[in-house]
Amino acid sequence: LPMAFRGVNARRHIGLQQLSSLASAGRTFLGPVKSHKFIVDESTNQSTLICSAVRLLESLDLTSAAGQLLNETIQAQNKEFKTGMSTLLFLVGAWSSAVVECLQQNVPISAIVSVMSEGLNSCCERVQCLQISIHDVKKELCSSRVRPNAFECRAHQVGCDSLLNPQDLLCFQERISAPEVIPESSCSHQGDDCHFNKGLVSPLVAFGSAASLVKPAGDRSSSVIPRSGVSTSGCIKQKLTHSRYFSTLGKNHFSSQQGNFWGHSLRPSADPCECCDLGHLAMALSHGNRTGIKLLQSIVAYQQERAECSGSSQLNITEIVTCPLLGLPESCSCVSRGFVTLVSPEQAAVIKQFKDKPLRILLVDGDLTEQYRHLGFNRPHNVRTILEHPNLEGGRAGDTWLSRMLDILVGFEVSLVLVKGSVCKNLRDRCTASRILVVGPVPQDVLCAFGEVTGAQPVTYLSQLNPSCVGNGAQAGLWEASDGRAMDLGELVPVQINVRGIPLLTAVLTTAVASKVQLLEDQFWTSVYRLHHALEDGKVFPGGGAVELLCLSHIQVLTEQPVRPAKAGKEFPSPWLAAPVAEYKPLVLQALASGWKRYLSVVMCNMAKALSELEACALVDHHLRKAADSGSPSAYILELFRRGDLLGSGSGPFADHNEGLRVYDNVAAKTEAWRRALDLVLLVLQTDAEIITGPRRNELLNSPMSSEFMFL
Amino acid sequence: MSRLEAKKPPLFISELLTKDTACQLLLLLSRIFKSSYGPAGRLKQLHSGVGGCVCTTSQSSALLRHLSISNAMFRVLTASVQNHVSRFSDCGLFTAILCCGLIESFRSLNVASCTVIKITRHLLSWCMDYLKSEACGCRVSVDFSSIETLACLVRSVLTSKPACMLNKTEVEHLTMLVLKAFLFTVPCHVETNAVLGKCVIVPVKGRRVMDSTVLPGLLIETPEIHLGTPLAVKRTGSNMIKIAVFCVSLSGDSFSPEEGTIAVHHGISLEMSELNQLLNVGKQLVNDEVSLVVCQKVIHPSLKQYLKENHVMAVDRAGLSQMEPLSRMTGSKPIASIHLLSPGCYGSLKDVSIERVASKHFVHLIPEDTVICSLILCNRTETAWDELKGVCETAEHVLQLTMKEPVALLGGGCTETHLASYIRHKSSSLSTSTFKDLGCSQTQYQLVADGFCRSLESVARSLNRDGGEILTDVVYGHCWFVPSGFLSVSNWSDVVSKCGCGINGNTEDLGWRILEGQSCSPVIQGCPKEPSVKVTDFLTLDCFAAKCSGLQVALETANLILDLSYIIEDQN
Repeated sequence: LPMAFRGVNARRHIGLQQLSSLASAGRTFLGPVKSHKFIVDESTNQSTLICSAVRLLESLDLTSAAGQLLNETIQAQNKEFKTGMSTLLFLVGAWSSAVVECLQQNVPISAIVSVMSEGLNSCCERVQCLQISIHDVKKELCSSRVRPNAFECRAHQVGCDSLLNPQDLLCFQERISAPEVIPESSCSHQGDDCHFNKGLVSPLVAFGSAASLVKPAGDRSSSVIPRSGVSTSGCIKQKLTHSRYFSTLGKNHFSSQQGNFWGHSLRPSADPCECCDLGHLAMALSHGNRTGIKLLQSIVAYQQERAECSGSSQLNITEIVTCPLLGLPESCSCVSRGFVTLVSPEQAAVIKQFKDKPLRILLVDGDLTEQYRHLGFNRPHNVRTILEHPNLEGGRAGDTWLSRMLDILVGFEVSLVLVKGSVCKNLRDRCTASRILVVGPVPQDVLCAFGEVTGAQPVTYLSQLNPSCVGNGAQAGLWEASDGRAMDLGELVPVQINVRGIPLLTAVLTTAVASKVQLLEDQFWTSVYRLHHALEDGKVFPGGGAVELLCLSHIQVLTEQPVRPAKAGKEFPSPWLAAPVAEYKPLVLQALASGWKRYLSVVMCNMAKALSELEACALVDHHLRKAADSGSPSAYILELFRRGDLLGSGSGPFADHNEGLRVYDNVAAKTEAWRRALDLVLLVLQTDAEIITGPRRNELLNSPMSSEFMFL
Repeated sequence: MSRLEAKKPPLFISELLTKDTACQLLLLLSRIFKSSYGPAGRLKQLHSGVGGCVCTTSQSSALLRHLSISNAMFRVLTASVQNHVSRFSDCGLFTAILCCGLIESFRSLNVASCTVIKITRHLLSWCMDYLKSEACGCRVSVDFSSIETLACLVRSVLTSKPACMLNKTEVEHLTMLVLKAFLFTVPCHVETNAVLGKCVIVPVKGRRVMDSTVLPGLLIETPEIHLGTPLAVKRTGSNMIKIAVFCVSLSGDSFSPEEGTIAVHHGISLEMSELNQLLNVGKQLVNDEVSLVVCQKVIHPSLKQYLKENHVMAVDRAGLSQMEPLSRMTGSKPIASIHLLSPGCYGSLKDVSIERVASKHFVHLIPEDTVICSLILCNRTETAWDELKGVCETAEHVLQLTMKEPVALLGGGCTETHLASYIRHKSSSLSTSTFKDLGCSQTQYQLVADGFCRSLESVARSLNRDGGEILTDVVYGHCWFVPSGFLSVSNWSDVVSKCGCGINGNTEDLGWRILEGQSCSPVIQGCPKEPSVKVTDFLTLDCFAAKCSGLQVALETANLILDLSYIIEDQN
C-alpha cells in the first residue's frame, strides 16, 4: 500500500485553522435566539432548513482529518447528551483560533497543553459552587411562578397534610408564622452578602433551617449546599408531592383521564398551581423553544401522575415517541396517549370499522417480508431446488407465502400487527382486505411498551406464533386534532393505537411548513433530553451566562496566582511535561478565557442585547470588575442571576411571557461540551504530521498539494 | 486460449544505504518515531484522505500497522519492531528509534560492517550483563507486596501517550483500575503451575473516563434485555447455574457448506429441517437442566423463544474474544457442533445479573472463584478510546512481564544515558587482548562504542520538545531536562529540578553537561553510581523485559540491515 506523509507547519497550524473555519459557520446557533440557515445543494437546487450544529455538520465537507475529528466529537456529544453541540462547536472554533495566536507568539505546545487543560479542570471545579439541586430549583421556580397565590397554596397543602398526619399541624403553625417572602425585587436593595439566600427561599420552605439552599460562597469553598439542608428538603418534597397530586383536584384530574379514554390529547393546565414544577424546570431549561415545551410539560405532568403510583420521579424517555404531521398549523401540536402514526386511507377505513372493539395484537421484531431472515443468518447460495412434477395449477411461490402468513394471522384472530422493520406491500394490502391492520416500521420502544401492557411477546417470524405470543386489549382509532379537523391530510391518515394503562405518549408535532418538520422534532427532543439530564444529574447550573462569567473571573484569579513550585517527590507527570509554565501562563490562560468571553459576547449579539461584540465584551468586563471588587465573585454572579440581571436576561424573548422566569443550564452536558471541545483542540494541536494511506496517494501525487507531501 | 507472458528478470539493487532515497526514508522514519516518543510526543493523524475514520496516535503498534513502506530494507526494520511489540507490547518506539540511530551512526563510519557487528555484539553483551546484575544502577526491584512501584509502572505507561487525553485525576483512576484488573487475574490458590487469568476490555465509547470500572467475571452486551424485568434463573442442587457455551452458530444456516452445491427436492425446506435440529438441541438442553445458554454467534429466534418458554436464559453474539475466558471461567467446553452435545460440556456459574453502563445493557456472568475480569473502558471519542485501549493493554502486559521478573528500569531517558555512560566508562579501559579477540583496532572500537552510546543517548534526546535542552550528570549518569529559554544560564543547578525518572533531585552539584548529539571527545568519567536514596513513589519506570528485548532487537536488526548488500526483487 502506498503512503504519503505531510508535516504540519507548527506556527500556522493547518489543522487548527481548519477547525476554526469549520466552527465559524455555527455561531448563529448560540444562545436562545438562533438564526436558521438554509443549506442549498447547488447540484440539485434543493435546500434544507437547519438550526443546530449537528445538522450543520451533516452538510459540511468534512473530508479533512480535522473535520473528521470535529464530526466525531460533535456526534459523541449528540449521542450522549443531545444538547450542548452548538456550544461545543463554537468553543472548538474560539479555542483553536486562540491557540493559533499563542503559537504565533512562540508559546511552546507543551505549555499550552498543560496550562489549558489544568485551567479548564480548575474552572470546572470552581463552577461547582453554582450548582443548584433540582429540588431547590423546583421550589424556587414554584415560588417565582406561584407567588400571587402562595398563601392559598400553602394553606391548601397544609390542610391536606394535616389530614394525613396530624403532627404536621405544628409545622403548619410554624409556617404560618414564618416571615412572609420577600419579593425578589427588594433583594437588591439589601446589598449584603447574605441577602440572596432569602431570595432563594420559597414560600413553602421559609421556616426552620430551610435557608440552607445556597449560602454565600467564600471564594475558596466549592460546595455550597450543606448536608443538613438535604434532609429537610427531602421531607418537604414529600409533602409537596402529596399535597399536589393527592389533592381532590389532582385526583379528579387523574380519574377523569382514566375515564375519558379517548380524550386523546393531554393539555397543560392554565392554572400554574396545577402545573407541575418539573414543567417549569423544563421551561427554564428550554431557552425559548415554545411549542416543544408545552408538549413536554404535558408529558411531564402525565408521567408524574403515573409516577405517583410507581414511585419514580425521573423522566422516562423510552415512553415518549414523536409523530411529525405535515399539514396542520403548529398550534395543533399536542401529546396523545398511546402510539400515533400515519396509515393509508384503506387502513384508516379498517380502523373505522374497529370502533371501540378490543383488538388482538401481534408484535414482530423484524421485517415482515418473505425474504427476511434474522440478523446473522447467512443465506445459502449453493442450494438448488429440483422440481420433479411441475404443478401447473399451483400459483407462484410468493402467493403461497402470502396466504400462509394471512392464514396464521386469521387463525390466531390477530387484528393488529406492529412491525419493527419494513412490511411487504402485498401482505399489507391482503391483510387490510381481511381487516387486519399491519403497521410498520414501529420503534423498538413502542413494541416494548405494547408488549408489557398487552402481554404480547415479540416474534421474528409469523411461523413462531403460539397463543401466548398474542396480546389483547389494544384499541385503534383515528387521531383527531384538538379542534377536530384532521382528516384531510391527503395520502396518509393519522391514527392512534392505544391500550388501557400504557405509559407510552406520542408527541404529535404538527406544522404547515415541510422544511420545519426535522427542525421541530430536533427541538422537541433537545428539550426532552435537557430535562432528562437535569433530573439525572440532580442539579442544574444557573443559566444566562452565569457559569461562563464565573469561569472568566476564576481565570483572573488563576492568572494572578504564582506558579506552585513542584513539591518534591509528590508531583507526577515527570519534568518532561513541566514546560516553563510561569512565563507563558498568563498568555495561555487568556487564550482559555477568550473562548468563554467570545461565547458570551456572541450570545449577547445573537440576542440583540449588544450591538457589537465589542460592546458585549465591555459589558462582560464591567461585570467581571464588579465581581472581583465584590470579594466573592460567585455570590455576586448568583445575585445577578437572582435579580435576572445577568448578561442576556431582563427583557429577553420571554419578557412578554413571564418576567421572573429563570433560565437554567445542564451541568454535565455543559462541562462535558467544554472538555470535549478543548480535548479536540489540544489533540489537533499536538499533531505534527498527517500520514495518508491508501488509494488517495496517487491523486495527491498529481495534485497541486503534492509539494506539501513526502511520498514513501 | 491462454496467453503466456515472458518472465521479467528480477531487479538487482546494491549499495543499499548510500542511495539518496534510502537516506531520506531513514531520516523520515527516524523523525516519525522520535517525534512520537514520550509523554510530550507529537501525534500523527493516520487516515485515508477521503473521509472516514482518523486515527490519532503516537503508539508504535498503530503507526507501524498503517505505515506501508516499499523499501525492503526498512520493511525488515518495521517487521522486527512489530514482532517485538507483539511479544512485549511496550518499548516499541524505543526499539525503532534506537535501531534507526544505530544504522545512521554506523553507516557513515569507515569500518567494515563485520567488524561493527562484532564490536556491537560485544557491547550488547556488556549491557545485558550489567542490566541483569544486582549492581546495575538504573534498575529498581519491584515489591509486589505494596502498590507503589506497580502503580508507577502503570502510570508511566498511561502518561506516555498524550492522545489518550487524560488529566491527572483520570490517570490516577485508570491506574487503580488497571492494577485492580491485574490483581483479579492472579489466581488465589496457586498450585504447581499457576496461569494468569485474563482481563477483557469492554468498550463504552463516548463516556467520561471516570465512568470506567472493573468487574470480576464477564460482561456480554445484550441489547434486548431490559432492566425492569427481574432475572429468574434456575439453579441446580448446589445452588449453581448450569451453563452451556456454543461456539457454533445456532442461527439455523449451517446446512450451507463453503463449496459445492446441494440439490433438494421441491417442497423440502432445509431451513425447516435445520430449525428442527436446533429445537432438538433446545429440548436436550432443557432436559439436561441447563439454565443459561451463551452462543458466540447468533441463536435462531425460534430456538430463543423455545428456551425462554422453558425458562432457559439465552444470550447470543458473545463474540470470539469472550469464548476462551468464558470457557475457562465456567469450566465448560465450547460446543462446536449441534450434533455433539454431551453433559460433560456444561459449566457452572455462581450468579447472573444485569449491568447497565451508559446506554448499554450487559449480562454479567459471575463465577465462583475467578481469574477473569472485565475492564469497562470509557473515553470521550473514538480516537481517544482506541489509543487508551492500546495503552491499557500494554499496562496489563507490563504488569504480567514484571511479575515474571520483578525488576523495573528507570524511565524518562535515565536508563539510556546511564547505560551510555557505563559503556563509555567500560570501553575506555579495555585491554589490548580484547581488541585482538575482536579483530579490530582500538580506534575502530572507540568509534563504534561512541556511535552506540550516541544512539542510546539519541533516544533520551528525542524526549525533548519545544527547543529545550537535555543534560546528563557525571555522578549518576541520569537524564535531565531544561526548558527552552534558559540556555544562557551559567549554572545548571539553578534551572534543573528533577531527573527524567524522578529519582534524583537537585540537591548537590552533580556536574551537569549538555548531552550533545555529535560529541567527538566524550568526557572521561567514572562509573555511574546508583542513586543513594531509592524513593519508590512517583517514579517513571519502564518494563524491564520489554526494554531488554528492545535493546537486543534494535541492535540485531541494525546489524542485519548494515550487513545487507543486495536486494533481489522479483518483478513478476
